[in-house]
Amino acid sequence: MRRVRLVGDFTRVPALLLRAVEIGLVLSFVAVIAIPPPLPTLVVVGVVAYLVAVMSYDSWAFIREARYTRGVTRRRMQAAALASLAVVLALVCAGFASVLPGLSWIWDELSAVLGLASAIGYFVAFAPPTWLRRAWQEPEVRALLAQAVRLAGQASVADIIRDLEQATADAFGAPRALIALFDADARSLRVDGHELPPALAGAWRQQRASLIQTDFSAIETGQLQALADLDARAALSAPISTNTRQIGELIVLAPRSPLFANSDLELIELFANQAAVIFESKALIDQSAEVRAREEAARLKEDFLSSAAHDLKTPLTGIVTQAQVLQRRAQRDPSAPADRVGLDRLLEQSHRLKDLVLKLLDVSRLEHGSLIGERVHEDLGELVQHLAAQERARWKRVNIVAEPSVTALVDTPRFEQVITNLVENALKYSSPPSPVRVEIRHEGDDARVSVHDQGIGIPIEDQAFVFERFHRARNVDDRRFAGMGLGLYIARGIVEQHGGRMWVESSAGHGSTFHVSLPACTAEVAAPETAPDR
Amino acid sequence: MSKRPILVVDDDPTILATVAEALDLEGFPVVTATNGAEALEVLETEAKHPLVVLLDMRMPVLDGWGFMRVVRERGLSLSVVVMTAAADARRWATEIGASGVLAKPFELDELIAAVQSYVSPKSRRES
Repeated sequence: MRRVRLVGDFTRVPALLLRAVEIGLVLSFVAVIAIPPPLPTLVVVGVVAYLVAVMSYDSWAFIREARYTRGVTRRRMQAAALASLAVVLALVCAGFASVLPGLSWIWDELSAVLGLASAIGYFVAFAPPTWLRRAWQEPEVRALLAQAVRLAGQASVADIIRDLEQATADAFGAPRALIALFDADARSLRVDGHELPPALAGAWRQQRASLIQTDFSAIETGQLQALADLDARAALSAPISTNTRQIGELIVLAPRSPLFANSDLELIELFANQAAVIFESKALIDQSAEVRAREEAARLKEDFLSSAAHDLKTPLTGIVTQAQVLQRRAQRDPSAPADRVGLDRLLEQSHRLKDLVLKLLDVSRLEHGSLIGERVHEDLGELVQHLAAQERARWKRVNIVAEPSVTALVDTPRFEQVITNLVENALKYSSPPSPVRVEIRHEGDDARVSVHDQGIGIPIEDQAFVFERFHRARNVDDRRFAGMGLGLYIARGIVEQHGGRMWVESSAGHGSTFHVSLPACTAEVAAPETAPDR
Repeated sequence: MSKRPILVVDDDPTILATVAEALDLEGFPVVTATNGAEALEVLETEAKHPLVVLLDMRMPVLDGWGFMRVVRERGLSLSVVVMTAAADARRWATEIGASGVLAKPFELDELIAAVQSYVSPKSRRES
């Protein structure tokens, strides 16, 4: 019966079976005490059969348990199963000894050896010496230590927690381990977003490892379903903390307390410390990534400001100097006719400055997400035709190919700005008489506007950057092609704030095609609503 | 005796024209180039050695640094004033061994003074 109780310490034994074993034991005692020796063969056979049955059940139960457990517990279960099996065999030998008395010395020797084997087996299974426990736990401990660097490098804390819990449960041969992290805002330990039951927070409160044996099914487990499902009766826990920071608590849960030994308190402290190191490393890795991102953002801003300042100074130089030249001329010879060339230069630089200031304002609005105003349904073909009619003089080389009623929801002036920018670029980077073709068509569910030229093209290595602030492709001769490198950046921003996309297909020397794709509106949607939807 | 010319090098045609006009108004002979390579050609073809070179730094084809490298290789001795809108103007001037800096945008008087300082050696250190 003690056998079965022992089994019950590790695994669940049905109550009915336990009763049957108790009755069998009482009957055996009564038989042995009440009947004077020699015992009738029938009684001996009955008692031996009873013992063989109980031991076989033991052995089977331990083998079954070994399949569901891990690490040190699995090894203990295997030892117990072997010990039970040795007892069964010893009993069988004893049986043979009484049936075949001639060879009794063989059976006696054999049962003595088997008896010794079972004693050793039970000893290492139920009270393994510390060194043996350590040896059994070593592979899992080693595995955790080897994983430390990989664990700290994981993307999310949730992944780290999951892997640490698994590694810990493995090392202790327990079905489940939990990591509760301290939430400074809620002032409590939390697991999966739920508060850890106070009964489990002893190690945290005392800041040292502890073993609690209690029926967790009786305590309020709250939302912690893992705990309720487990039917845990023992918890080994240790605080996860560094000298400066209390991070949380590591808990190993087991259905029965004999799973743990006193030496496990040291081991769980080791695991908790390892967890603390991993969490601290993760925090440092995250922090340094954040600092790098901030530095990069600051550097981009710095670059932008210095590029903007440089580009503002150039036309300003022309304006200041030219104005002073005009003034000096007028002072020296008040009756001289107006200097038309000088005035034209003054105006040209003023326009350049104005253009740049407006673009910088657009960039600022774009980055605050406030570039787009009210949107209306527009027939994009008509919109482009209308623009071309306004710019007739300069857009002589522009051919428009439009499918009828390609409609999208757009901020009209902003979308015109995009088309103007693309067409002006196409004209600027291609030479007469090569045409610039603007195509407006449906492409699946999208409205597509493509601007194609046969100009200098964009080298592959620049294509990824043409939409960036102040970027100008390396084959652009600044003298031939004045520009700031902001137009495409703003144009793409406008398109993206319309929920669309903008990209380029090009190769150096073979022209470029810029595509704008917006979600199209069907004619029905574009038309004024006549009746509410049903 | 005609005076030595001032060589103005800038890739921006409007600035180039304006600076040339301003210097012309003050009676300085001016030659212009839109990049370092053109400036080297001017040095070869021009009979008179320029009094001073007003040099923009960032230019296509051959920039200010490239121009100065060739000048050094050829053993030419030139007075150079760096004329740029970049924040690094002073550092660049030291790098290439220029004797002066004109940070854009500059006033007409600053331009004239910078050039004037090369005419009479006495007033050279004033700027």
